[in-house]
Amino acid sequence: MTDSTPHSSDIPAEGPAVGQDEWVARHAERRVLRWDRLAPLEQRLRVAPWWAWLALFLGAMCLLPAITSSGYARLVGFDTVLYMMLALGLNVVVGWGGLLDLGYVAFYGLGAYGYALLDSNQFHLHYAAYFTIPVVVVGGAIAGFLLGLPSRRLHGDYLAIVTLFFLQLFQTIVTNGDSIFGHNVTGGAFGIFNVDPLHAFGHTLATQHGGVFAVSYYFVALAFFAVVFVALRFVNHSRTGRAWRSLREDPLAAEAMGMPVNTLKLMSFSFGAAVAALTGTLFASLSQSVLPLSFYFVLLITIYTMVILGGAGRQHAVVLGALVIGPLLELLRDPNKSRIIFYVALAVGLLLAFGVSRTFGVIAAATTALGFVCHTIAASVHHSWVAGSSPGGLQHFVSSWLVIPKHLAGWIPPVTYIGVICVALVLTLVPRRVRLVLLPPSLYLAAFVWDNVMLPQSDAARYIVLGLILIALMIVRPNGLLGERRVEII
Amino acid sequence: MATFTQLTIDALTLGSVYALIALGYTLVYGVLKLLNFAHGDVFMVGTFIGYGVLQLLGGPSNPSVPIWLLITLITLAAMAGCAVLGVVIERFAYRPLRDAPRIAPLISALGVSFFLANSMQLLFSATPRNYNTFALGNGELYFKGFDIGQVRVPLLRIITIGAAILLMIVLWVLVNKTRTGKAMRATSYDREAAAMMGIDIDRVIMFTFLLGSGLAGAAGVMFALRVPTTVAIGFVAGLKGFTAAVIGGIGSIPGAMAGGIILGCAESYTQGYVSTKWSDLVVFSILVAFMIFRPQGLLGRADIRKV
Amino acid sequence: MKKGIGLALAMIVTATVAATAQANPTAASSASAGTSCKKTLKIGFVTPLTGGAGFLGQEQMSWAQYAVKTLAHSYGLHVVIVPGDTPVEQGAAPAQALAQKFVGDPSVVAILGPSTSGAVAASTQTYFAAGMAHLSPSATRTDLTKTVSGVKEGTPAFFRDVPGDYIQGPSDANFMIHNLHVKKVVIMDFQEPYSLGLADSVQATLNKAGVSTIRLSAPNTTTDYSAYVTKVPSDADVVFFPTQKPADAQTFGEQLIEQGKKAKMFGGDGSNDPTQFKLPGSYVSNFAPDITGIAADASIVSGWKKANPGKSVGSFGPPSYGAAQILMNAIQLACKADHGVLKSRRDVLRKVKQVVIKNWILGGTFRWSTKSNDPLNAKFYIFQIQQDGSYKLVG
Repeated sequence: MTDSTPHSSDIPAEGPAVGQDEWVARHAERRVLRWDRLAPLEQRLRVAPWWAWLALFLGAMCLLPAITSSGYARLVGFDTVLYMMLALGLNVVVGWGGLLDLGYVAFYGLGAYGYALLDSNQFHLHYAAYFTIPVVVVGGAIAGFLLGLPSRRLHGDYLAIVTLFFLQLFQTIVTNGDSIFGHNVTGGAFGIFNVDPLHAFGHTLATQHGGVFAVSYYFVALAFFAVVFVALRFVNHSRTGRAWRSLREDPLAAEAMGMPVNTLKLMSFSFGAAVAALTGTLFASLSQSVLPLSFYFVLLITIYTMVILGGAGRQHAVVLGALVIGPLLELLRDPNKSRIIFYVALAVGLLLAFGVSRTFGVIAAATTALGFVCHTIAASVHHSWVAGSSPGGLQHFVSSWLVIPKHLAGWIPPVTYIGVICVALVLTLVPRRVRLVLLPPSLYLAAFVWDNVMLPQSDAARYIVLGLILIALMIVRPNGLLGERRVEII
Repeated sequence: MATFTQLTIDALTLGSVYALIALGYTLVYGVLKLLNFAHGDVFMVGTFIGYGVLQLLGGPSNPSVPIWLLITLITLAAMAGCAVLGVVIERFAYRPLRDAPRIAPLISALGVSFFLANSMQLLFSATPRNYNTFALGNGELYFKGFDIGQVRVPLLRIITIGAAILLMIVLWVLVNKTRTGKAMRATSYDREAAAMMGIDIDRVIMFTFLLGSGLAGAAGVMFALRVPTTVAIGFVAGLKGFTAAVIGGIGSIPGAMAGGIILGCAESYTQGYVSTKWSDLVVFSILVAFMIFRPQGLLGRADIRKV
Repeated sequence: MKKGIGLALAMIVTATVAATAQANPTAASSASAGTSCKKTLKIGFVTPLTGGAGFLGQEQMSWAQYAVKTLAHSYGLHVVIVPGDTPVEQGAAPAQALAQKFVGDPSVVAILGPSTSGAVAASTQTYFAAGMAHLSPSATRTDLTKTVSGVKEGTPAFFRDVPGDYIQGPSDANFMIHNLHVKKVVIMDFQEPYSLGLADSVQATLNKAGVSTIRLSAPNTTTDYSAYVTKVPSDADVVFFPTQKPADAQTFGEQLIEQGKKAKMFGGDGSNDPTQFKLPGSYVSNFAPDITGIAADASIVSGWKKANPGKSVGSFGPPSYGAAQILMNAIQLACKADHGVLKSRRDVLRKVKQVVIKNWILGGTFRWSTKSNDPLNAKFYIFQIQQDGSYKLVG
C-alpha cells in the first residue's frame, strides 16, 4: 500500500477503546482505504456554489442531442433523466427520511396511470398538460401520505414488507382493473393505449418525427429534473430537512427532542411519491401507453442500486449513481458494447486495486500471455475449439486471445460459470501472495465465461451484474461512491 | 361439503410448502434479525436440484429405484445442495455485514436474490421443468390414497403434508433438545451475551443457515413434485413464505408452521369461495392488516424496543 | 495511487465515448441515400429471448435464422438477423427502445416481429412513421389488424402471417359446440393480453350458442392451480386453458384426473408442445397442421433438426420461418423495382402485400387477405392428443 496519510479524525492508536462503539472505531480504520481519495477530490470541487455545478451539468446534458442524432441514444438519454428523477425521489424517502420503501415504483405507476386516465380515450378526457401534471403530482403526494399512514408504527424490515405488499396490491388492482364494479377503469392487462402526448395551449408536443424520438421531450424532462432538484434542495436546507436528518440518525432521540416524527415520515413519503408521480406522467406521455407490467419489482431494485451506488442522502451523489447505472444497463443489452464494458471494467478494477504499479503491470502481462498460450494450445488440439464467432467490439483481439469454441458442449456453461464463482469466492479467502498468483488464470476464466456464456444472454447477464454490484457495494462501500459517512448507533 | 374438504386438502398441501419456506425465514430472522430475500431463490434452486437428480436416476418413466426411495433420495439431495448453497451465501454475502447498519444485509440479500435467479436463468434457460410425477409408476401417487367422504386424498398430498410435519418435528427436537439448538436460541435472544458465554457465533449462524436452507430444499422438492418449476418462481414463493412467517410470528417455529397453514387456507378458500380474480388482493390485504395491527404475528413475542 | 484513479477515470470516459460513438451511425445515410442490394441487409427480430416467455423467442429465433441461412441466397440477398430482446416482464419499454434503435439504423430494412401483441401496440406507431414493415409470427390480438369497438391498435405497416384471435376463438368454440357437443365449459384466463383476448372471444361465441360458461381468472404468476381445479364443476365438459406454458396445461389436466373430474383440457396455440403437454384425450388448437406431416416440408424439417440437435419442432417456430421468407421476398421485389439500389425501407413496405408464396411452410399457398394485413383464408386446426402423446388432426 502506498502513501496512506491518515485522515483528520484519526484512528485511535490502540484500537477500540472503552466508551467507543466498535463499529465506529473499525469504520475509522476502513477509511484509510484507497477509495477514500474521492473525499479530497470532493473538497476541491466545493469551490463553486451548487447552482453553478447544476447549471454546468444541465448544459452538458443539453449537449447530448448535438453529439448524436440517433433517436435511440436520445431515448436512452431521456430514460436516464427519468431515472435521475426517480432516484432523487427515492433519495427523499430512503436517504433523508431513512425509511426503507420497497413499493416506490407503485407511485411511479400511479403517476403514469393518473396521466393516462386524464388524457386518453379511456374516459374521453383530454386535459391540457398544465392541468394534468399538477393534479397527478398532488394525487401522488396524497397517495404517499395514505401509504405513510399505516406505516407510522412500523420500523425497518416491517415497513419494507408492507410497502412491498403495496406494490403487489397496486399491480393486482391495475391488472384486474377492467372490471371494477363493472367499469373498465385501468384497461386491465391490456393497459391503456393512445394516451395523449403532452399538450397545452393548443400545441401538442409530438413524441416522434418520422419514427425517431423527438428531442423536445428530452429537454422537457431535463427542465422537470432541474425543477425537482432545486425544489428538493430548498426543502433539504430548510427546517424540514434538518428534522429529517435528525429523524434518520436516531428516531428515538428525535422524538424525545419533540420532533413531530410521524408528520416527518408522512412528509417524506409524500415528497417522494410526488416526484415519482411526476416522472410517471413524463413516461406515460412519451410512451403513449401504460401497461401494468411496466412497473415491476426489478425496476425498483435498479433505482435502489442507483441511489445506493451514488450514496443515499446526497442529491448530487444519487444523480451520479443514476447517470452510471442507467446507460450501463442499456449498454449491457448489446453484446458488442458488453464486451467492451467488461474489459474496461476489468482494467479499471485492476487499476483501482493495484494502482499504476509494478503489480498491475505484471498481472496484466501475465493474463495476456496466459491467454495467448491457451489459445495456441486450444487451436492446436482442434481448430473448431477456437473457431467460434465473436461479434462486436475488440473482435480481433478477442478472437486471437480467447478460446471461443464453435460449439459449446452442454456441460461447459454451468461448470465454467460455477467455477468462476467458486474461484472468485476463494480469492477473497487466500493470502495476498496466493491471490496474486491465482489472479491471471481467474481473469482469463472470467473472460471466457463472459464471452461464451453470458454474452449470448445479455438480459440475464445485465441483472447478474446488477446483483453483483449490490452485493459488492454493501460489503466494500455501503455509503456509495459519494455518500456521507454515516454511522448507525445500534 | 365435498368442495370444502377438497379445498381444505389443497390448503394443507399448499400450506405445508409455505410452512417449510417460512421456517427458513424464521430461523434466520431469529438469529440474525435479517430478512433473507434470497431464501425464495434457494427454494427455486432446490427444485432444480431435485429435477437433476430425478433425471440422473432414470427419469419419471423409468426410475432405477423404487418410488419411495426415489422421492427420499431427491429430497435429501435437494436439502443437501440447498444447505451448502445457504452456507456459502451466508459466508460471503452476509458475514462481512454482520455489524453493518440493518439496511446493508437487506440490500445484499436483494442482490443475492437477483444474482441467483438470473444465474439459473443463464444456465438453465426459462423452460419449465416438470417432474412428471403423473407418469411415476403409472400415476400411483395420484390414484392411491385414502378417502374422506367423497373426496380422495391422493398419496402425493399425504407425502407433502407428512414430510412437512416430520421435518418440523425434527427441527423442533433439534432446536429444543440439543446443545446446538440451545446455542441457536441463545444467539437469537442476545448475540453479544451468547458470544461472551463462549458460544461460537459463526458456527451457530452457519448451522442456522444450513438448517433453514435445507428446509427450503425440501420445500422445493415437495412443491415441484406436483407443479412444474421455472427459474422465476423464487420471488413469489419467497414473498409467500415470508408472509407466512410474519403471520405466525417471526422468530417462532410453531408460528411458522401455523402461519403457513393459515396462508394456505386463506389462499385456497378465497380462490374457492370468493373469487379467483381478486384472490391475490384479498390475501395481500389480510396480510397488510396483520402487519399493521399485530406485527408480532400470532405466536411471536411483541418486540420491545429498548431505549 | 492518485495516478491510478486519474488513469481509471480517463479510461472510463474514453471507453464510454468510444462505445456511444459506435452506437450512432452517422445520420448521413438517411432515407434519401440508397443501400445497394448486394450489401448485407439487416432484418431486426423483436421477440422475448429471455424471461418467462424466453423459450418462445428462442424457438422463433432458431427458425428465422434457419430461413435466412437457407433461403437468402435463392433471393440473391445477403441478409442478417439482428436480435432484439423484449422480455415480457418489462412492459413496453424494451420494445420502444428497440424501435428507436432499429429505426435509426439505415441498414435495417424490415422487422420480424414484435412477437408479443403488447410490444406491437407499443412500437407500431414508431415503425409506421418510419415506414418500416414489421411482420409478426405470433402477435394474434384481434385489434392489431381489425377495428374492434372503434379501436384499431395496429397500423398499415403491421402484418402477421398467422390468423388472429378472431379466428382462433370462434373456431375453437365451434369445434366444441359441433364436435364435442358441450353443455358447460370452464374458461380460464391468466390476466395477460394473449389469454384474455382468446378467452373473451371463446366465451362470447359459446354464450351465443347457448352453452353455459364459467370464467376463472388466475394471476400470471400462479403456479399451483389446485383451488381452480376444485372449482371446476364435476359436470363440466371442457376446460378451455389458453396458456403459454404447456407444462401448466399438463399439470392442470393431471389434477383434474386426480380429483375425478371428467372435463377435458382444451389448449390454445400457446400450449402446443408435444414434449410438455401430452395428456391423452386433450385438445389443442394451432394455426398450422403439424408441419412434420406436410410432405413438402420434409427437407426443411430435417435440415432444421440437423442444425438444432436435440430440439423438437414446436408451433411457434415455423411461422417465423415463413415470416422471414415473406420479408426476404418483399426485399427482393423492392430491390428489383429499384434496380439493385434500395432507395428506402418504404419500398420494402410497399412490396410486402404483393408477396405470394407457393409451398408455404404451413401448407398450401400463402396469400394476403385483401381486407386486412392478415393471411387469406387462414384457419385454425384442432388436434387431439392420443394415448402415445402424439397429436392427431381432428378438426
